[in-house]
Amino acid sequence: MNGILRAEQLAYRYPQNEYGLQPISLAAEPGEALLIAGPSGCGKSTLARCLTGLIPHLYHGTLRGSVWVGGLRTEAAPLWQLSERAGLVFQNPSAQMLAESVENEVIFGLENLGLTRQTIKQRLEEALAHFGLQGLRQRSPQTLSGGEQQKLALAAITARRPPVLILDEPLSMLDGTAAADLVEHLAKLTASGTTVVTCEHREEFLCDVPGLRTIRLEGRTQPETSPPPSPFRAGSPGGSLEVKGLSVSLGGRPILHDLHLSVEGGEVVAVVGRNGVGKTTLLRALAGLQQHGGTINIDGRDPDLGLVFQNADLQLFNASVRDEILYKVAAPDPELYGWLLQALGLAAYEEVPPLLLSEGEKKRVALATVLMRRPRDGLLLDEPSLGQDAAHKSLLIRLARSLAGAGQRVILTTHDLPLAVQADRLLLLGPEGFVADGPPAQVLEAHAAWADLGLRVPHWLEVPERVVEERGGL
Amino acid sequence: MIRLGTSGRSRQLALVERSPLRHADPRTKLALSMCASLAVMLSLEKLVAFMGLYVLLLFWARLLPEAARQVWRLKWVLLVLFVVDWIFVSLDLAVIIVLRLSLLAGAFALFFATTTPAELRLALEWMRVPYRYAFSLSVAFQSVGLLDDEWRAIREAQQARGAWTRPEGWRKLLESLGDLIALAVPAIVMTTKRAWAMTEAAYARGFDSPHRRPYAQLSMGRLDWNLLAATLAVAVALLLWR
Repeated sequence: MNGILRAEQLAYRYPQNEYGLQPISLAAEPGEALLIAGPSGCGKSTLARCLTGLIPHLYHGTLRGSVWVGGLRTEAAPLWQLSERAGLVFQNPSAQMLAESVENEVIFGLENLGLTRQTIKQRLEEALAHFGLQGLRQRSPQTLSGGEQQKLALAAITARRPPVLILDEPLSMLDGTAAADLVEHLAKLTASGTTVVTCEHREEFLCDVPGLRTIRLEGRTQPETSPPPSPFRAGSPGGSLEVKGLSVSLGGRPILHDLHLSVEGGEVVAVVGRNGVGKTTLLRALAGLQQHGGTINIDGRDPDLGLVFQNADLQLFNASVRDEILYKVAAPDPELYGWLLQALGLAAYEEVPPLLLSEGEKKRVALATVLMRRPRDGLLLDEPSLGQDAAHKSLLIRLARSLAGAGQRVILTTHDLPLAVQADRLLLLGPEGFVADGPPAQVLEAHAAWADLGLRVPHWLEVPERVVEERGGL
Repeated sequence: MIRLGTSGRSRQLALVERSPLRHADPRTKLALSMCASLAVMLSLEKLVAFMGLYVLLLFWARLLPEAARQVWRLKWVLLVLFVVDWIFVSLDLAVIIVLRLSLLAGAFALFFATTTPAELRLALEWMRVPYRYAFSLSVAFQSVGLLDDEWRAIREAQQARGAWTRPEGWRKLLESLGDLIALAVPAIVMTTKRAWAMTEAAYARGFDSPHRRPYAQLSMGRLDWNLLAATLAVAVALLLWR
C-alpha cells in the first residue's frame, strides 16, 4: 500500500481500560475523502490519534502495527514534524482553544511552523476571511458559539496547510446549517488536494462529499438481551406544563424573550434551533435552575422535571455505576433499577467506575441517575444524541416514548434533525421565540421559517412512519 | 459546554481596557508589580508613604477598584491576623502585617488586570523562562475564569439529580459538607480533562517545534520609560529616607 496516509495492521489498547482499536489497515491518496464510521466506543477517536502520532507519543498503551504520514513513521518522527503533515481537529472545539483571542488562536499554529511575520499575517487574514471570522478576531474563543468555535478550530489547523486533515466527530455540536457549511468546506479541501479523514456518527451529512470512501470499524459486541417490560405503567396524562412570558437574560444579554409554550403529559417534544439561540437556557429554566421572568407551572405548582445535562462529566463521581445510579435515592425501586441497567445497555458495567466509560455510556449513566429519582412530571434532555450511535439514539427515542406512555412529558433539545423528527412535536426556536410548532412532517414543510433562521433541512431527511406506531412502550 | 462572559475572563480577572497601563509593555508592568511587592520589606513609616503613592498610581491607572477587590477577598484573613497580632504582640505589628498583606494582594492587580495571556507569555520568554513553561503559565492564567463557570455548572447538575442541595443555615451547611465530593470529583475530572485536551491540541499544532518564531514582539514606549523612571525615583527616595 502507498499513499500520503497509510496504516498497517494498526491496533491499540489503552492502559487503564479495555477500550482501544481493533486491527485495521487503510491507505489514502492526496485529495481523497475517507469517512471512518462505527458505533460508540469502536475506536474512531483512538484511530484519529494514531493517525496523527498523538498515540504513541502522548499515550502509553499497547500499540501494534504502523502508521506513515507523508512518508514519516509516526512512532519514529517527532510530533511537530507529524503535525505539519497531518492536522487534527478534535471532537470538542471548546476544549482545544489555547489563546485568548480568535486571532491568536490561528497565529499559535503558524508561529510553530517558523514562518515569517509577513507570511503569518497573510495566512491569518486568509483563514479568517475563508471561515467568515474577521468580525470576531478580537473575541475570546470561549465566548463563541459551538459553530463558530468549530470554524475557528478548523481555521487554526487549515491555516497550517497540512496535506492530511483529520476530523474527530466535527458535526456533533453543529446545527444543520453549520454542519452543511462544514461539509461544503471539506469538499473544497479535497478538491484542492487535501486528504480529509472524518470520524463521524452522523454519516448522512457527509453523503454530499464527492468520492467519499467509508471505512467501518467494528464495535464492542454486547450480548443481545431483551429488557424486561417497562416499569413506567401506562397512566393518565397530568395537567399541562404551561410556560407564559418566559424571559431570561444572561450577563445583561437577553437570551429568551416572552416565550410561551404548552406541553401536555404524554408528549415527546423536540426543540431545534441554531447554536446559541437559548435551547439549553430553556431547559435550565424548566428545571428550576435558571432565574427567569414569566411563569412555569403545572396545575399551578412548580413542575418536577429531571434534567440530563449535555456533559455527563458534570454529574458523575461515584465509584461504580451502581453507586452512581442509586446515590441519594430514598427507597430505590429494584424493578426500575434493573430495567434501567438493561434498557440503557449498562448491565455489564454495574461495578465499573462511571468515569472509565465511553462518553456515550457516561451519558446513559447520567440519564439513569435522573430516571431513578422518578421525576414526577417528566424528563428534559439536553443534546441527548451527542456521542451516541444510531442504535443508542433509537433506544433513547423508545425510552422517551415509554415515559410518554406513562403520562409524562419529554422535552429534548438537539441539533440532530433525524432524532428530532422522531418526536411527536417539533418546535423551531429562533431569537424572537418559537417560529414553528407542530408535528415534525408539518414543521419541516415550513420552509420560510427555516430559511428565516438560516437553517437548512437536509434533502435526505425523512420523517419515519413509526412515530405513531411505537408510542406506548419500549 | 462551558462558556465565559463576553470578556472571556472571570470577573476577578477582567481585563481593564480603559486603563492607560493597558498599552504599557508587560515587562514594565511586571517590574512595577515586583517593586510594589518588594516594598513589603520597608519599615512602617516608609511602607505607609509607599502605599500612598501606590494608591495614587492605581487611581491614575483606573485600577483602584480591581486592587480593592483583590484585598477585599482576603478580608477575613486580614481581620484574624490583625486581631491576633494586636492581642498577642502589638498594634504596630498588627498594622504592618495587614498593610504588607494588602500590598501583596494589590500589587499584582496592576499587572493581571491590564495584561493578556499572550503578553504574559512574551514577558516570561523575555525573562528567559523556557517556552514550554511560559506557555503553560499563560494558558493556566487564561483558564482561571473557566473554573468559576465549571464549578457553577457542576453545582447545577448535581442539584438537578438531587445529589447536592444549597446549604441554608449552619446545620444544613455541616450536612452538605458530605456532599462536597459530588462537586469535587467532577471538578477535578473536568479540570484534568481540559488540561489534557489543551495539551493534545497544542501538540497537534506543533507546540514542540524547534523552529517556532513569535509573531508578536515587545516594544518599550515613552509611557514605559516614564513609569520606570518614576519607579526608580521612588526607590531612591525611599532608600535615602532616614
